Amino acid sequence: MIEFQDVTLAYNSNRVLDRVSFTAQFWDRLAFLGGSGEGKTTILKLLLALVRPDSGRIMIDGEDITRLSESQLRPIRRKFTIVFQEGALFDSLSVRENVAYCMREQGALSEEDIDEEVRNLLRKVGIEGAIDLMPEELSGGMQRRAAIARSMAAGEPRMMLYDEPTTGLDPLTAENIGDLISELSAGEPPDRRGSIIVTHDVTAAARVSERFLYLKNGRITFDGDLPGLLNTDDEELKKFIDALFLLR
Amino acid sequence: MNLRTLLAQAQDFYALSARSLLGIFHRPFRVRETVEQMDYAGSGSVLIVILVSLFIGMALSLQISTELAALGLKMYTGKIVGIAIIREIGPVAIALTFAGRVGSGMASELGSMVLGHQVDMLRVFGMDVVKKLVTPRVLSATLMLPVLTVIGDGAALFGGYYIAAFVSHQSGSFYWGQIAEIMNFNNIVSGLAKPFLFGFLIATISCYMGLAARGGARGLRQATTTAVVLSIIMIIVTDFLLTQILFLLLGMQA
Repeated sequence: MIEFQDVTLAYNSNRVLDRVSFTAQFWDRLAFLGGSGEGKTTILKLLLALVRPDSGRIMIDGEDITRLSESQLRPIRRKFTIVFQEGALFDSLSVRENVAYCMREQGALSEEDIDEEVRNLLRKVGIEGAIDLMPEELSGGMQRRAAIARSMAAGEPRMMLYDEPTTGLDPLTAENIGDLISELSAGEPPDRRGSIIVTHDVTAAARVSERFLYLKNGRITFDGDLPGLLNTDDEELKKFIDALFLLR
Repeated sequence: MNLRTLLAQAQDFYALSARSLLGIFHRPFRVRETVEQMDYAGSGSVLIVILVSLFIGMALSLQISTELAALGLKMYTGKIVGIAIIREIGPVAIALTFAGRVGSGMASELGSMVLGHQVDMLRVFGMDVVKKLVTPRVLSATLMLPVLTVIGDGAALFGGYYIAAFVSHQSGSFYWGQIAEIMNFNNIVSGLAKPFLFGFLIATISCYMGLAARGGARGLRQATTTAVVLSIIMIIVTDFLLTQILFLLLGMQA
């Protein structure tokens, strides 16, 4: 179980999160919505303990991760994997080497097995033909697919985290990425792999998530399902959703 | 920046330096990464080090032989150029060149990895970022700078010889004879002890600044600039302190 308890974080004097609290299960499919700079990505970084809160507690399966050292955090982080906005592929390595990276580091598989696994993963995300390309030769959508494949190669995460997975992509590619995200979290709870997607793209979030949390001024001002989101009384949230649907 | 922040940064820097050193002795040994970094820091710097050193040697020889000629002592050019280069100018000038080329490269590369979330990815994958990224760089800089210093000293001495023999019209064999005369234990230790420390300082400062980069292109520029400036200051200050210590240890007197 994941619990944020009164989490507050400021960068210099800018308070990004202000006493944020929520709970989620590892099989949940959540979407954090909000405008730029509202702390959506920070939620993901806090969940992985890549940044520490100024106050509050973050509990993962009953353990407060805000107090753990880097080595103590390793088993916690293995429960998750993340796909960053631009993919965060290692730019000096080819797609094959990027996806194989973790498997090579772990040293448990032979080179032949790694190569086969890399091909399987790339086939799954639909870019097997790009296996020998360098990250700069990939389109935005392909970079994210490669990043998803690399994240899957890291192990068997219980929850996938996505940072703006469809931002900057054309509608068709965004839809394909959405389908891939849905596929990776398919199944029925509690057996399925959960996902948290942070985005300002309501349509993409609606396609892959069941629960929606809206961040405004560092606080969660909405927490509910899709019908609740679309019929909200919150004028600010209404404007946010309407603006995005109008744009589309 | 307040004192508290400064102290916290100093603490982080010392912790990073200590962890990068400890990483050398603990598995997994990052041999491939270290060799790659040695190639970048060492082989990649040879030409620029030779070029810089050659001209430093020539300029020094020209200045010294001119002054000594006025005193009728220009036959001692080799001795003075040799001592100056081996003990002092060679290690410092090559370290400064190294900081400009390799230190800035380390800071910008790591800074770019931080800003591109690649460092975050390594942490999510459960890797020790210091051992993976910092230790190979620190080890390679600490080992390669002394090698480059030897090469650079050779180039500078050759530059000095060229000026002494072909511009100042001195005997070449006498010049090299004087160089051989000053190649004693004290001078060699004085010249070769420094690059180990300079290499370590350049790499740790550059890696620290790179990993601390924040805030996009401007943050990356600031991290790289600070890494080079701090490295230069530390090289100059450490050179003076180390010279004092070596004088004490080797029983040399001012």
